[in-house]
Amino acid sequence: MSRGPAPLDDARLARWARQLLVPGFGEAAQQRVAAVTVRAVGADAVASPALVYLVQAGVGRLWIDDPETVSPADAGGWLYPPAAVGTPRADAASAALARLSSYVEVAPYPMGGVPSATLVAAPSAAQALHAAEAARRAGIPHVVLEADADGGALVSVPPGAPCYACARSTGAGRPAVPGAAALAALAAQELLLLVASPGTVPGRRFDLVRGVATARPTARLAGCACGAAREPAPGAPPG
Amino acid sequence: MSAGAAVVDLRRYACPLTWVKTRIALERVGEGDRIEVWLAAGEAVESVPRSAAHDGHRVLGVEPLREDPAGFRVLIEKGAPAPGELA
Repeated sequence: MSRGPAPLDDARLARWARQLLVPGFGEAAQQRVAAVTVRAVGADAVASPALVYLVQAGVGRLWIDDPETVSPADAGGWLYPPAAVGTPRADAASAALARLSSYVEVAPYPMGGVPSATLVAAPSAAQALHAAEAARRAGIPHVVLEADADGGALVSVPPGAPCYACARSTGAGRPAVPGAAALAALAAQELLLLVASPGTVPGRRFDLVRGVATARPTARLAGCACGAAREPAPGAPPG
Repeated sequence: MSAGAAVVDLRRYACPLTWVKTRIALERVGEGDRIEVWLAAGEAVESVPRSAAHDGHRVLGVEPLREDPAGFRVLIEKGAPAPGELA
């Protein structure tokens, strides 16, 4: 007989009391958030507000997947003090984030580790596509950020939805502004929604322009591999 | 106040935990079921019934607690889940 997760103790209720009061959120949703392991692909200044958000919201485990070192530009963001410049981002981010909450396990991504959700804030389109495709193949919810100056876009991909390649931006954006947090916070919030309320959020894309976010459902591009498992091949017997 | 209602003793908690724990207690019972919340005298005696009513539950009564002269009991009947409620 399987038992559900243990009720949240008083310390955890006190820690997350404010979000537990958000209409539509409750103990079961918080328990689902606490059970998730998030792989964060990219931990630069653009991604760092999202990482802070995820830790403060109480994800169970956060793996930082970033092979780069902290750059001077990163020090203008939320996570890294000037003294961290030159140190590995995964280590510096893990140390900074772990100090924010004793309820969240933060560590550099263990090679071969299997997450249950992914946040992609990769520095290049190729890396974003690769990470998103890995998450799609694993069947886990993922959100991809595309920073553009102090705004940008994000693509939310619950399992089975049109993939990131179907909904990504095709033009090159402007350089991201370190310290701008709205897009990253929106991405973290969207990933939490996918985790807390599985099966109720459609695939969608948000565009954040001059502080105003607009959302629209994503659509599968004709012939994209992400639809292969869902659409029967011509002439195939009904499943 | 009400036979059969589950008692949730929150006299040692302060806001916002009083309402957080009341909400969680309401999550655990079915629509139409009742809970009896015990609160220490103070702001929570006003805020918990108000929040419960705001969330669509029925507040059936607020009265001093026989067992504790510094406490109050609030009887709440669970209402229908709000649209968009995460199960």
